[in-house]
Amino acid sequence: MTSITLTPRHIASRTAVAILGGYAFTWGVIALGIALMYSAGMEFHDAEHLSYIIGLLVFLTAFLVAFATQALRKVALVLVGGGALMSALAWWVQGLIIASGV
Amino acid sequence: MAWLHTWFGLALGLVLMVVFFFGSLSVFDREIDRWAIPDTRFEPQPMPSFDKMLTPIFKEMQPDAAARAMTAPLADGPLPATFDTPRSWGAYTTHRDPVLALFASYEVPNAKDHETAIWALRTVDPRTGELLPVDRLKIGSEFFYPLHYSLTLDWKNVGYWIVGFSALMMLMALVTGVIMHRKIFRELFTFRPNKSTQRSMLDLHNLTGVVALPFHFFFAFTGLVIFAYIYFPITHTQLTPLHDRHEVLESKETGLPHDRAGVAAPIASVDAMVAEAQRRWAAKGMAGDVGFLNLTHVGDANGYVSVYRAGTDRVQLAGEGIHFKAATGELLREDPPPTVVARINEFLTGLHLQHFKHWLLRWLYVLGGLSGAACIATGLFFFVEKRKRQHARQGVSGARVVDALAVTVVTGMLVATLSMLIANRLLPDAMPAGWPLRGAMEKYLFWASWAVAGVHAWWRTAAVAEGRLAPAWREQCLAIAVLAMTAPVLNWITTGDHLLHTIGSGYWPVAGADLFMLAGAALAVLAARKLQQRAARPLAVKNVTLEAGHA
Repeated sequence: MTSITLTPRHIASRTAVAILGGYAFTWGVIALGIALMYSAGMEFHDAEHLSYIIGLLVFLTAFLVAFATQALRKVALVLVGGGALMSALAWWVQGLIIASGV
Repeated sequence: MAWLHTWFGLALGLVLMVVFFFGSLSVFDREIDRWAIPDTRFEPQPMPSFDKMLTPIFKEMQPDAAARAMTAPLADGPLPATFDTPRSWGAYTTHRDPVLALFASYEVPNAKDHETAIWALRTVDPRTGELLPVDRLKIGSEFFYPLHYSLTLDWKNVGYWIVGFSALMMLMALVTGVIMHRKIFRELFTFRPNKSTQRSMLDLHNLTGVVALPFHFFFAFTGLVIFAYIYFPITHTQLTPLHDRHEVLESKETGLPHDRAGVAAPIASVDAMVAEAQRRWAAKGMAGDVGFLNLTHVGDANGYVSVYRAGTDRVQLAGEGIHFKAATGELLREDPPPTVVARINEFLTGLHLQHFKHWLLRWLYVLGGLSGAACIATGLFFFVEKRKRQHARQGVSGARVVDALAVTVVTGMLVATLSMLIANRLLPDAMPAGWPLRGAMEKYLFWASWAVAGVHAWWRTAAVAEGRLAPAWREQCLAIAVLAMTAPVLNWITTGDHLLHTIGSGYWPVAGADLFMLAGAALAVLAARKLQQRAARPLAVKNVTLEAGHA
C-alpha cells in the first residue's frame, strides 16, 4: 500500500467498497448459506446460525481484501456482483423449496 | 494496513472504549444492581409459586407510558386505554438475582402489523411478592449493560449498528495489528515505562493488544454473532417466506401451537408443571432450578407453558425446555438434545454472555475487558504523542482534538459512571411531582456529567496545541479519585452497609463494588502523580526510532 498516494477520493472509494461491497457480499453468503443448508435438510435456525458465523468471517476477509488489493474496481465488481448473484440464487432456491409444497 | 489500523482504530476506538469498559462492568451487572437498589440486597431466591404469587401480579400488569409511546406509531389511531389480550407472560431470574423480572406482552388490536406486541415489565421480590417501584433503575443490568451493546441509542437500532461496525473494526484492527508487528511473542515482554511517553505508550498498546488477543478476537466476533440477526435481517426480509414455512412446520412437529385458537381456556396449576419439569431434569441426571418460565397464548385453548432450566452450571445457554398444555398440564414436548450446530452456537454466545457460575472466570473477563480498554486508550495516547509536537509546529489542532476526545472518553466516562452512582445515593427516594422519575434522573445526570467532563477536556487540553502534556488528564484523574471515594462513603451513610459490615457478613455484591471503586481511586491517584512527574520533566526527548509501519 505504500506505493499508493492516499487522496481523499481514494480513501473514500476504498472505504465504500470495503463496507458496502463487503456487506453486499456477506448478505449473499448468508442468504445462500441459509437457503442451501436448509434445503439440504439442516434445521432452519441451525442453518441461520452457521451462515451467520461463516458470513461474519467472510465480511472481515472481504473488508481486508478491499484495502489490500490494488485493483479496486475488480474487488468492487466481485463483492457487489457476487453478493447480488448469491442473493438471487438464494431467492431461486427459496422459490423451489416453497413450490415443493410439503 | 498500517493506515487502516491507525485511522479506523482512531475513529472507532472511542466507541470501542465505551464498549469494553461497560462490557467489563456488565460482568457484574447484577451486583451493581444490588449496590444501586439497596432494597434488593438479599440472597438470590428460587422461582416463587407461579399460581399463588405471580399470576395475580401478571393479571394486574399493563404497559407503561414509555412502552405506549414506542408502540403508538405502529398502530392506526389511538391505543386502547388497557390491553386485554396477553400474548405471553414470562418470568426470568439468574443465580445472581435476588429479584425476579416479569414481562408480559399484549396484542395491539389496531396495530398495522398483526404481529406487533406491546410489553409491560415489572420486578418482584420473590420472598413477599412485593413489586419494586417503577422508578428504580437497575443501573447494572438496565443501563451499563445496554450501553455495552447499543450505547442506549435505541432509535432505529442505530446504537447496535455503531457497536456492530466497531466490533468488525476491532477484528480488523487485531488482524492488521498482527500483520504490522509479526514478532508477537516479543511484545509480550516489552514494556519500557521509563522511556519517552510515546515509546512506553506504544509498548503498552502492543502488550495489552497481544496479551489478550484471543480474548479480544473472540469477544468482538461472538458479539457480532449474537446480534447478527439485526445486522443481517435476512430471514425477516428476503427469506421471510422460508422463515414462515419453517415456523408452521415447526409448530406442527413440536405440537406447540403457532397461533391462538380464539377459544378461552383456564390455566391449570403451573407449579405442578414446574415440579414435573424438575422431576424430568433430575431423571436425566441434571437436576436444577428454573431460570425462565413462559406462558404463550395466555388464556387461550392453544396456550402452553414452557419451563427452562437455569443454565448456571454450563457454558452453553441450553435450557432443556419442557412444554405443557396450559389448560390441562399435559406434557406437550421435551426439547430434544441440541444439534451440533446449536451446540457450537450456544457455546459461542454462552461464552460471551457468561450466565455460568464461576467467579474466577468472571474476574478474568473483567481483566480481559479492561485490557481491551487499556489497549485502545494507549493507542489513542500514542496517536497524540506521535503527532503533537509536529502539529504544534505546524499550528494545526489535530492532536489536540484527539486528545480532548480521548480525555472525554477515557477519564470522562469514569467521571460520568461514578457521578451516576453518587446521584443514585443522593437523589430523594421519590422525585417531587413534575420531575422525571428517579431512574431517569440518574441517566440524565450520567450524560450531564459526561458532557461537563467533555467541556473540561476541551478546555484543559490547550497545552497539547503547544506540544505539551494536557493538564486535563491529571485533573480528571483527581476527580475520579474523589468521586470513587465518595460513592462508597455515601453507600455507608445512606444504607449502613460499610465495608467492615459487608465483608464481615460476606455480602460480596456490595463489598465488591465498594472495593472496586476504592481500588480505582487508588489507581487514579497514582496516575495523577505520575502525570505530574511527566509534566515536570523537560521536553527534550530524543526522537525515538519507532518500528517501520507504525503510521
